[in-house]
Formats: sequence, structure tokens, C-alpha cells
Amino acid sequence: MPSGEVPLFYRRGFRNVLQQAIYVAATAIIAWYVYTSLDLREFGFGFLSEPAGFAVGSQWLTEVDGVTNSRLTMYLVGVWSSIRAVLVAILLSTIVGVVVGVARLSSNFLVSKMAMLFVEIFRNTPLLVQVVLWYAILLVGAPIIQNVVNVGDFFFLSNRGIAIPWPVPSAGLWGVPDWFVGVWVIALIAAALVALRVRASRQERERETGQPHFANRYAFTIFAAAALISFLLLGVVVSIDRPILEGTQYAEGMVIKPEFAALVLGLTAYTGSFIAEIVRGSIQALPRGQTEAANAIGLSGYQRLSLIILPQALRQMIPSVTNQFLNVNKNSSLAYAVLYDDLFRVATVIQNKAGHALEMFFVIIVTYMIISFAISAVMNVLNARVTAHRL
Amino acid sequence: MSELPPIPRPEQRPLPPAGGPRKIVLPPHRQRAGRPFRVKAREWISRNLFPSLGGTILTLISAGFLGIMVVGILWFVFFDANWNVITANRWLLFAGSFPREEAWRLWTSIAVVMFLIGLAYGTWSSLGRRDTLFIVLTGAFVIFLMAHGGATIWSSIWFLVAIGLLYLGYYLTVWMPRETSPRRVWHQRIVGGLLALSLPLVLVILMVAGGANTRQFDGFVLNLILAPVGIVGGLVVAIPLALGRASNMRTIKWTCTAYIEVVRGAPLLGWLFVALFILDDVIGGDLIIRTMVVLAVFTGAYMAEYIRGGLQALPRGQYEAAQAVGLNQLQAMQLIVLPQALRISIPPIVGQAIAIWKDTTLVTIILTLRELKGNADSAIAQSEFIPDRIEAYVFVAVVFWVVAFMMSRISQRVERAQGIGER
Repeated sequence: MPSGEVPLFYRRGFRNVLQQAIYVAATAIIAWYVYTSLDLREFGFGFLSEPAGFAVGSQWLTEVDGVTNSRLTMYLVGVWSSIRAVLVAILLSTIVGVVVGVARLSSNFLVSKMAMLFVEIFRNTPLLVQVVLWYAILLVGAPIIQNVVNVGDFFFLSNRGIAIPWPVPSAGLWGVPDWFVGVWVIALIAAALVALRVRASRQERERETGQPHFANRYAFTIFAAAALISFLLLGVVVSIDRPILEGTQYAEGMVIKPEFAALVLGLTAYTGSFIAEIVRGSIQALPRGQTEAANAIGLSGYQRLSLIILPQALRQMIPSVTNQFLNVNKNSSLAYAVLYDDLFRVATVIQNKAGHALEMFFVIIVTYMIISFAISAVMNVLNARVTAHRL
Repeated sequence: MSELPPIPRPEQRPLPPAGGPRKIVLPPHRQRAGRPFRVKAREWISRNLFPSLGGTILTLISAGFLGIMVVGILWFVFFDANWNVITANRWLLFAGSFPREEAWRLWTSIAVVMFLIGLAYGTWSSLGRRDTLFIVLTGAFVIFLMAHGGATIWSSIWFLVAIGLLYLGYYLTVWMPRETSPRRVWHQRIVGGLLALSLPLVLVILMVAGGANTRQFDGFVLNLILAPVGIVGGLVVAIPLALGRASNMRTIKWTCTAYIEVVRGAPLLGWLFVALFILDDVIGGDLIIRTMVVLAVFTGAYMAEYIRGGLQALPRGQYEAAQAVGLNQLQAMQLIVLPQALRISIPPIVGQAIAIWKDTTLVTIILTLRELKGNADSAIAQSEFIPDRIEAYVFVAVVFWVVAFMMSRISQRVERAQGIGER
């Protein structure tokens, strides 16, 4: 039927436009209402550059003086604290998740039931309660600093935290300045990248020709040689700083504070239990023939897992695991409950002192989105690499 | 039940012994490979625990670890812990500042909800031996808690009555035939409607005629109110959002996408921050009302994503078939698309419901609302209970665990009953 015969009101195009016009108008009215009801008289981000006037605890690799520095600087310290906790928690929860997920499918009755117990306990308990419980255990359960547990002057354990040795750069072989350490780290990363590239290309050739190309040996040799040569050229000395006890305080070394430990433990157990379920699901989704074929060609249990099962399951689990990593990022805001100065806590402190709730909320949400974006970008690269080799 | 043609059975699967409980026989492609029917205990142990040298070592190590954990936990529970912090603060943890003389309103609400749960179980599921065990254990735990330290006998009796009502509701509906029929449809509609009305009904029981005001919702009662509000409100927000995001009109699609992504971008704590400081100017109202709005808005964004997944999983043919039989867009959505899409997305939606149940603890952190965890904080702030932090938090964790575990079991059962995830 030519469109001229249909009344205007019943034409699809007209309908579309009409519906969208109504929708846009309604949305605009709501937006206008919200906009006018907000108190925007003092809107602006100038307050962030004023002196902070408060200190931020649990600093690491940062020396920030809370009195003279601006609020923005303190906020960035909080962001750094968050990122640190998130990175450690992501790393640990992945390990825990894969181990527990594989253990759940173990043919050993005891092992699989224990893994199930782990998952059911940690998945069904609020993360907040887990974090404060870990914190309570670390504070009440660990010995007070007077009765510190001392492991050969290397590790100290008390309710002030765990002190461990930590590498610290010092003046170089030929008196080179400290920033050469940074150069050396960059050189090491570059060497590692080159080694990985060589390994990948040799593996490729090995697959194509069927001849051994010793990918791992080549890569390791390249990396070791580059590390040694750059070390000698740059002359950096890294000494290990052992923790000491000064009165009731830790000095030197690296101190893992109970706040940080509680947050990371909580995030690790909670997220680990979710990742375990993802790992189990994606392994179970593989056709049984994969396991049977691996058994048929005589692979051992470990070889079956690492060469056949996990690489295939990885493809399926990366999107879900990425989601869990994003949750770790967002859940790190629970640091507030154990007084770990993450970005959310610092932001609320700033809001407490200076007001400007709306602006602070913008800052918070943008920061979380940037971190989330970075995590998903990395995971997308990984995903592309994993799915690229599909045969 | 009409006679079905006999189902061919694989030869190697032994039949269950005759005279046992009547089992539903699934078609072969849905039968799960079970373990062989009778295995001798010795054979089972040697196969599952000591299959080889490595397996034996693994078993011994994990048995040792498990033993240490169990002994440690038992030691803590029975010798080390001081549970007075719980028993002395029962009312604080359960209802906090809810007026004590109005306690009958709480008991009545619990009884009503239990009855409705019984009805729902009788309509869609059945109570097996495990469920009975779970109910008995939970009931014993609650009554032990009530009796310990000398509460009135009436609260225990009320609780027993509530459990009785659960079974009453169950036996009222369980005998009705399950085959699809007009009667069955009405039966389901009535029970579903009662379930949907239960939340407003409970609020009415708690608040009308001299009951509590919203500021007196406290302790575990607050969790029990906030979570259903978040779940139901979230679904109400989520369905239009999901349809909007899947729409082919650009303005609608883009705004819905922006809404979902922005809400999912910030943690719930950030949105509670909004409820506390910013929403006051926009919608006003009590803090608890603003918190409910934020919970619904937050949950809605996540659930919308899951429902969108369900919409995408529907074959295009469903839309086309709906158009072909002459349904208009609204009818197609209501009759064809949404029922199927919602059914597909039940498992993740229940997952989100469990998440929101656990996340109701977050209102304690920056808001002045005190739910169970917040009142546990108040309990350990009393000078005599300062050393008992671990006990208080373990108790809170166990309470949340029981409810969350129950929810996850129910969702598994729904999945199995509907054959979700099976092809």
C-alpha cells in the first residue's frame, strides 16, 4: 500500500517521531526539575586546590604531608591506595578462584567438598561483614606489639600489621643517581617484552614446522642477558631493607597494615568464591570429549588441565571474570568500614570539611569509571589474545 | 495424568528398587548421569579418597587441614567465645528501636510471610526432607536464641505458630493438580498476587494505628524491609529500562544505556552518598525513603542488563511470529517476548537479589540507618562487650548466610523445575 493512503497518525515514521518527542519532553522535564532543585549556587571545583588540613593514613611509596598539600593531592593519594588494594585483590582472587574452581571438580571427594564449602561460605556472606570480621580477627586475634611474633628478624606479626623485608634502591655501583633505578625497571620491562615476542614467534614456528624451536630457553636467555647487561651498565644496587622494631612501632621494611590486609582478604575470599564458580562453569561447559581425548593420548592430570582444559575454558570465562574484577574495583569502597584511606573515604572526608557533595560525587564516579575502563581495556586485550588462536 | 508412551531406557542404567518413592522419570536426554546405584563403602572410599599415591597425599593433607579448621572452630564456638554479647542484645540486634510493646506487629508480619511462603512452596515446589531439616535447624536456632537468657515464652510460641502456618499454607495448596488448566492459572494468579501484596501488607501491619514510624525500623527488621523493596523496586525499574535499551528508537536507547552505565559505574556506597547529601534537595523525604529509592535505582540498572541478556537470547523468530499472528507491539511484548525473556534471566536476577540482600548491610556505613551489622557495632560499643567483636560479627555473618543460602537454593530449584540451562 503506498504510504499516501495511510492516515498520518498510523504511519510508522510519524509514530516513531511522536513517541520519541514525547519521551524526550518527559525526560527533559525530569532533568529540568532535578537541575532546579539542586543547590548549585557554589558549584565549582576550586575547593579541591585549597590546603587539605588532614592527614591520610596507610601511605606507601608516597610521602605526603597533610597540612600543606591540596585536597586534590590527598585525594590522589587515596586513589593510589585504592588501586593498590584492587590490584593485589585481583591478583590473589584470581589465584584463589582458579585453584578452588578446579578443586571443586576434583575426583577427590574431600577436596571437592572442601572447595564447595569455601564457595558457599564466602559467596553467601555480605562482603562488609567479611571485611570487618577479618579486621576484628587481625586486631583481636593477633598478638599485641609487646608480644610480637618475630620470625628470624625477617617477619614481624602483631596487631599493628605484618612487617616484611622490602627492596630499596640505594646509591649505585659508580655513584649513579637514584632515578637510574627507574631507568633499570624500564629496561627490564622492555627486555621482558622483547623476550615474550621472541617466545611467541618461535612457538608459532614450532607449530608450523613441527621442529623444536626452544621458545622458553631463547626467551629466558634474552631476558637474563638483557637484565645483566643493563644492570652492569647502569650500576644500580638494590638492597633489601629488613624491618626493625623501635619501641612499639615498626621501622624500615614494608608494613602491611591490618586495615589493608582486612580489605584485601575480604575482597580475595569473596571475589575468589565467585571466580571459582565461573571457572567451574566454564570447565563444565567444555565437551567431555576434551577430557577423554586428553586421557586417551596419555597426558597426566596436570598436563590435561594446563594444556587442554584451562586454555579452552579461559575463552569462556574472561568476560565474566572481567565483571568480577570491575566488582573488586567498586567493592574496594568498603575500605571505609575498616578506616583504610581509599579514594571513597578521602572523598567523604573532603566533603565533610568543605561541603560540595555534588562535585565530590562527580569526582568519585569519574575516578571509578576510569579505573574500571582501564581494567576492561586490559582484559579486552587479553581476551583478544586468547580468542585469536582459535583453530 | 494421561498415559505417556513408554520411554526407552539405556540398558546399563540400573532401575531404582521397587516400592521406593515415586520418581519422576525424565526423558533420556534430560537424565543426569548418576553414580552407579550401589557401591560398597570400601570401594567408594578407595576410589574417591585413595585412588593413587598422589591422591592419598592430597586426601591426607586436606583431611588434616579440615581437621584443624573444624577443631579450631568448635573450640572457638564452645569454649573461647563469649556469646553473651548476642543473647544480651537480642532485641537490639533484631529490631533495635522498634517499640517493644508493638512487638506483636513483628510477629504477625512474620507469621503472614511464613504462611505466604508456604502457599508459594505448595504451588510451585515441594518441601523435601532437606527442607524440613533446614526449617527444623533454623527454628531450633531461633528458639534457642529466644529461650537463652529468659525471653518470654510467648515469643517462642509465636515463632512455632509461624512455622505451623508455613506448613498450613503448604498443605493448603500442595494437593492441587499441577497440570495447566484454567483453575491452575487462577490458583497461580491468586498466590502470585498475594505474594506481590505481601510487602505493602507487612508495612501496613507494622505502621498503621499507632505502630512504628519509619525511623523506628531498625536492626534485622530493616534488612528484611530494605531487601524486598530493593528487589521489587529494582524489577519495576529494570523492565522498562531493558526494553528501552533494546529499543530501536535512538533517543530512548541512548538515554537508557547512559542510565545503566552510569549507575553501574559507581559503587553502591557512592549512591548511598547521593541519598544522604544530594537527594535531600531533589525528592526530600525520610532518609529511609531516599535509601529505598537509591536501592531500587541501583538494582534496576543491574537487573536491566540481565533482562536485556534474556531479550537478546530470544530467537528473532519469536518477534516475527508475534507480528505474523497480528499482535501489536504491546501485546507482543506482554504475551510473547517478556515472559520468555524473564524466564531466561531468572538465575542472574536471583543472583542480583542475593547481592542486594547482602548489600543492605552497606546502609550502616555512611548513613545513620542501623541495620543488623550497625546494631552489632552498637552492641560491641558497650563497655562489657568490647572484647567480643569477633563473636558479634560471626553471628551477623551466620544470619546473613542462612538467608542468602536459602535464596540460592530456591533459585537452583526454580532453574531445575523450568529446565533453564538445559537444551
